[in-house]
Amino acid sequence: MIRLENVTKSYSEEVIALRDASFEVAKGEFVFLVGPSGSGKSTLLRLLNRQERPELGAVWVAGRNIVDMPANRVPMLRRNIGNVFQDYKLLLNKTVFENVAFTLEVIGRPKHVITQQVPAVLELVGLAGKEDRFPDQLSGGEQQRVSVARAFVNRPLILIADEPTGNLDPATGEGIMRLLDRINATGTTVVMATHDQRIVDSMRKRVIQLDRGTIVRDQARGVYQ
Amino acid sequence: MISRIGYVLRETAASFQRNLTLTVAAVITAAVSLLIFGLTLIIQHGFDNLLAQWEGGVEMIVHVNAGAGDAQRAVIEEALVQQEGITIDTWRYCDVTCSLADADRLLAGDPTTRELLTAENITTQYKVVPMDATQVDILRGLRDRYLGLPNVNTVQLAEEQLDLISELQGFVSTYTTGLWIALMAAASLLIWNTIRTAMFARRREIEVMKLVGATDWFIRLPFMLEGLLHGLIGGVLASGALWFINDRWTAGVQGFPDNSGMTALVVVDGYQWQVALIILVFGSIVGTVGSGTAASRFLDV
Ligand SMILES: Nc1ncnc2c1ncn2[C@@H]1O[C@H](COP(=O)(O)OP(=O)(O)O)[C@@H](O)[C@H]1O
Ligand SMILES: [Mg+2]
Repeated sequence: MIRLENVTKSYSEEVIALRDASFEVAKGEFVFLVGPSGSGKSTLLRLLNRQERPELGAVWVAGRNIVDMPANRVPMLRRNIGNVFQDYKLLLNKTVFENVAFTLEVIGRPKHVITQQVPAVLELVGLAGKEDRFPDQLSGGEQQRVSVARAFVNRPLILIADEPTGNLDPATGEGIMRLLDRINATGTTVVMATHDQRIVDSMRKRVIQLDRGTIVRDQARGVYQ
Repeated sequence: MISRIGYVLRETAASFQRNLTLTVAAVITAAVSLLIFGLTLIIQHGFDNLLAQWEGGVEMIVHVNAGAGDAQRAVIEEALVQQEGITIDTWRYCDVTCSLADADRLLAGDPTTRELLTAENITTQYKVVPMDATQVDILRGLRDRYLGLPNVNTVQLAEEQLDLISELQGFVSTYTTGLWIALMAAASLLIWNTIRTAMFARRREIEVMKLVGATDWFIRLPFMLEGLLHGLIGGVLASGALWFINDRWTAGVQGFPDNSGMTALVVVDGYQWQVALIILVFGSIVGTVGSGTAASRFLDV
């Protein structure tokens, strides 16, 4: 599903965010990217949906090297990749329902698909009955659930989560992890960056560890350290 | 498809309200610019009407009394042929039909006078192109000679009205053109800035749209539509103002004295509708291009 081949990404002469990174993720896998702040986790995730392009190497996603993909193909790539962020990135002037529907709307899904899929995914993430609330009327955990619903509503092949529990208390974070696990169980490949040791240790999934841009460990059913 | 159209229209409407002050400024500037652009075209056309009878390098017109037949005109034509290749380059006869058509344009602003002219009473014309238009003395000499011929009503020289008018035309068009171009540039910049502001206000939405795989065109479209509307509304206002000004001017010209020489300086032949259409199209294009470039430029907010 995902394959990186000797990928190097730098923002300037001094800042090399990722150095000669190679790994492969199979369809349906759940992978943690761990490492301290600034080790290159976010950069790696941004390479997967062409928010960034590497200087060297190849990034294969769903059978395609996306490094030199023409710009007009990028939207189609992104429709297959859901995104969850630490700060949720919800639209504050839209309700829960509208935030999720927006995703389908802007990629041109017909209305009957929207009215059918949005309630279903809100049910899945445990937000049934809160469709008409605005983000500021929700707890942090609930907001993150909206964000997960938005990322998953189009049934993507891959879900990318960048520190999704970073702003949440441990109990709430665990709830989000159970949700991501459920989504992973439907066959969606999940790649999640985190430096939350408790979560990594409790899930026992594959762990790829970064240190100043270099992959220093790639371990099946691993722990944080 | 329906949901996309709905989306585009909703976003455009919302953006209009959010940016009301900038939008109003952009629309007014576009309207004034388009109005001056339209006036330039109308005034040019009015001047062209005024100079209609002198088209093609004609510098002298010999008016022949109404009802003068071929035999009576032969004397005049003989005098013209005599000068061919000496002072006269070419000449042509403008018969009754041709002279009535000239009157249509010359008296467009004075329908009452025009109605008095008929095939029976209109003077016909010999239009003369001289060898050298700058030799005014030679032309004056010719005029004096032709005035003495039988059946010649009057002889007009272009330099007496033409030069002044074409100078005026050139003067007016230079400055109005400069004015509308400057204002159009201001309008484009205002539209550009309005779109930039609108996009900045919606940068979070745009970020999300890009991440979930909306195409650039889909993101751009509401903004381009907004710019198009700026130009189009400006064009509608300008067309309305232009119609009003043209109408008032035409009415005013009818009250001018007959010898003012201004009775042709009106546009009543439908050209004003053409100009209105040009303004609408031009405004829409400027608005779309201005907003389109801004939208492309700031898609990475
Ligand atoms: N947009 C950017 N411009 C310049 N430098 C950046 C940018 N994003 C990240 N970096 C740098 O790249 C390195 C890796 O950052 P990042 O991928 O955000 O790490 P992490 O997510 O593990 O904290 C850091 O040194 C960071 O300062
Ligand atoms: Mg990060």
